[in-house]
Amino acid sequence: MGDTMNHPPAFARWLLERVVPEHLHDAFVGDLEERYATMVATMGIRAANRWFWRETCNAPRTRMISAPQRRAPRPNTGDGFMSVLRADLRFAWRMLMRRPGFTTLAVFTLALGIGATTAIFSVVYPILFESLPYPNADRVMMVWEGTDATDKGNLGYATYVDILEQNRTFSDVAVVAYASGTMTGRSEPQFLEGDRVSASFFQVLGVKPALGRAFRDVDNLRGSERVIIISNALWRNRFGGDSSIIGKPLMMETDYTIVGVMPASFENLLSPTWQFLLPIRYDVSLPQACRSCRHLRVVARRKEGVTTAQAQRDLSGITQGLKRDYPNDFKYSGLQTNALSEDVVKNVRPALLAVLGAVALVLLVACLNVMNLLLARGAQREGEFAVRAALGAGRSRLVRQLLSESVLLAFLGGIVGIAVAFAGVRILVALSPADLPRLSEIRIQGSVLLFALATTTVVGIAFGVVPALQGSRSNLHDSIRRNTRRSAATSRFTRSALVISEVALALVLLVGSGLLFRSMEKLFAVNPGFDSQNLLTMQIQGGGGKLTNDKLVAQFMADALQAVRSQPAVLSAALTSQLPLTDERDEYGVHFETRPPINPNDSNGGRYRFAVTDGYFETMKIPLVTGRYFAATDKATSSPVAIINQSYARRYFGDVSPVGQRVKIGGLDGPWREIVGIVGDVKHESLSSTHFDAVYLPEVQWRFVDYAMTLVVRPRGDAMAAVPSLRKTIWAVDKDQPIIRIATAEQLMAEREAERRFALVLFEGFAIVALVLAAAGIYGVLAGTVSERGRELGVRAALGATGRDQVAMVVRQGMTLTIIGMIVGLAAALASSRVLSSMLFDVSPLDPITYAGVIGGLGCVALLACWIPARRASQTSPLEALKSE
Amino acid sequence: MDKNLGELEQLVLFALLHLGHDAYGVTVHQEILERTGRTMSFATVYTTLSRLENKGMVDSFVGAPTPERGGRAKKHFALTTSGKQALQQSVRALRSMSRGLDAKWGTP
Repeated sequence: MGDTMNHPPAFARWLLERVVPEHLHDAFVGDLEERYATMVATMGIRAANRWFWRETCNAPRTRMISAPQRRAPRPNTGDGFMSVLRADLRFAWRMLMRRPGFTTLAVFTLALGIGATTAIFSVVYPILFESLPYPNADRVMMVWEGTDATDKGNLGYATYVDILEQNRTFSDVAVVAYASGTMTGRSEPQFLEGDRVSASFFQVLGVKPALGRAFRDVDNLRGSERVIIISNALWRNRFGGDSSIIGKPLMMETDYTIVGVMPASFENLLSPTWQFLLPIRYDVSLPQACRSCRHLRVVARRKEGVTTAQAQRDLSGITQGLKRDYPNDFKYSGLQTNALSEDVVKNVRPALLAVLGAVALVLLVACLNVMNLLLARGAQREGEFAVRAALGAGRSRLVRQLLSESVLLAFLGGIVGIAVAFAGVRILVALSPADLPRLSEIRIQGSVLLFALATTTVVGIAFGVVPALQGSRSNLHDSIRRNTRRSAATSRFTRSALVISEVALALVLLVGSGLLFRSMEKLFAVNPGFDSQNLLTMQIQGGGGKLTNDKLVAQFMADALQAVRSQPAVLSAALTSQLPLTDERDEYGVHFETRPPINPNDSNGGRYRFAVTDGYFETMKIPLVTGRYFAATDKATSSPVAIINQSYARRYFGDVSPVGQRVKIGGLDGPWREIVGIVGDVKHESLSSTHFDAVYLPEVQWRFVDYAMTLVVRPRGDAMAAVPSLRKTIWAVDKDQPIIRIATAEQLMAEREAERRFALVLFEGFAIVALVLAAAGIYGVLAGTVSERGRELGVRAALGATGRDQVAMVVRQGMTLTIIGMIVGLAAALASSRVLSSMLFDVSPLDPITYAGVIGGLGCVALLACWIPARRASQTSPLEALKSE
Repeated sequence: MDKNLGELEQLVLFALLHLGHDAYGVTVHQEILERTGRTMSFATVYTTLSRLENKGMVDSFVGAPTPERGGRAKKHFALTTSGKQALQQSVRALRSMSRGLDAKWGTP
């Protein structure tokens, strides 16, 4: 027992050190030793030793009386539940403050989980889950013309009238056409976008202007007064929120009278960038109102009690009649309907769902980490609980105390989490692609915040209380015999399992972000078909001010181009009716003289029509495959010519050169055009698109004048630096024509891929968080093990184990957990990466390079997390380790 | 607040009153042993002192570490006014209860 002359039994002293609360150590143990010395002198060492052992056995009672009663003074003195709660919370606060490292880690882990989940869900919620901002929005339907539900084409006005007259399932049907114009008369000219709508538009959506009135049927009659309804933003920004604006004029190519201002809360989901509404003013006698003039969107409100299926059957019935009466127009297509909400979100849904899945994994990792922390802490305190329980503290008392601690922890985590969520939403909105629908509706969702808070709290409570219950069950003898720190070993298995799960989840997230990253890399390596480097683009809107007819607009465009070309900073410049990698899509059917359409629909549409000036291909650096480019000699009066792209030519003509063949563009009534050249394929919709078919024609030979043309400029120096002088040059020709969307081709490309980039940035963020948490988990478990196994390490060192052996032992343990986690994670990643497939480009969801990289990276981080505790183990001195026993 | 004192509490308060400035675990323990012959465990002494402290009847402070105790500091205890009052009340109650019983002590 190691007794010496004047020292009490060593083991009894060792027990005392652990049983007596720290704050009483000196006083209590000191008193016992002082008294022991006296007793040895008066009664002999054996009696003194017996006495000392008796005192030691009694000593645990000091635990009962000291800590809780000192810290929670007088809990039972007549002031009821609140004071008990206050006392509990105060005590819990002290306990948390006593271990600032644990508390900070737990609070920030919780905050990250709560904050990130809330922020992401707040972004996703209005887009995916909230009903649209119209009364009974589920009844607002879109009606399309197409071969099946996925083929959504616009309608001609005559067809709209048929639906209006024949349907029995819609209470209102409205028609919407895109419109734009240049507002003049107030400071600089401003380009505005909006819709021409039928009067029923307001009933279909169930909305009303905030000021003034909605359109009436009479506004649609040609010859009636020209009226306009403006957006709240335009009213505030351009008219200073003038409350007497109703009845005032607005000049946009012609004079309008403002009859209404929509409320700020009104979202026009059919045209998110709208600024005005005009009456459509169509009737079936107009040429543009024909059945095959398919440029109108139809939106309708289902009658109450009518299902989507019934509405579809109703439309199918109307289709039968249309097919019978107009066999040529409806040979391949019919009427289709779907909810407006489907169209609003369909493009972003996969990205958002993937992001939502990712953040759920982050929340899971955060929960696992908190569990891990609480288990470790609970294990360390098991001895304390056992002693308290043995001394009569009721289980409910212990549970209550731990509950207060967990709840307080969750509360702190929640507060920081709210801050994280607010910051997160701001960052997300800033990062999000501009065309993300319903961006203005994104705000912190209280319900989500509560959900995340509740989840983490429940986790906290569950895992905080387990050790208390264990503690109150285990017997005093056992717990005292075990070092409180060593009892952590019992939960090591659980904690290892948690670490394995964390590693697995981190791997899933890393694989996701790795795949997205590789896609992005490949995407930007894609050749768009033209030279995007240092290419400046800007759209010129003709038709403002004095340019009231086609001839004047065409002349202005020609003069502006001439002026730009004469600038010394310009190498070459040209105009085009549509620019690749923007939203501009102008499609027509094409008919080759000697080749029947491969697909019956080919002559109906789907070929990009580019009306370009000479020099377009040279400026864009689109390669010539055969034949020639357009030249200045291709005039309005010379014989019509066309150029088509390479893969289109190959599909129709194989190896035969189509140069010299003839083609009609946009219906059979147009002129035959001779194909004079074949150019390379150009990516039009996005870098990942595979649809290239395009016909190019000299803009002077097209049947109408394009009022919006994009100027492409190959400057001598830096592209953006040339902007001010170019703008001045164009405005020197006519100051009333707005110039919009000034961007380099590279900026346009990046914008096109904004959604992928958004998902990528988020995935990267989540993956890093998960990686850090997993590394912290590995570190925590190993650090715990090293201190628990201090004695073993000491013995090993004494028996000749070198530092390197010790390091190897600890690293082996950590890496075993990591490797098991990786195997589980790999299986999960293989199963789940398919979710991402719609966002991947040219990368298989099973891409070996990504997997290898992720495994390597995760392995390195895990190794680092092992290294720190391993080094500590290697420095264990046998003397110290044994002395501490 | 519970102003009534248990027997142990009375003993400890008496000891503190006797000891004055020299009251700490060992002396309190010794004082009770010498005056009553009763061996209390140190844990009992400390729990009682702590209970009295919670009732506001006893104050404590930690002294400087002393070499004869291996560098361990003593925890000193002192009676507070309310402790003194409670003890007085307790003594009065005992006196009044025992008054007139002298004749009866002889009979078993």
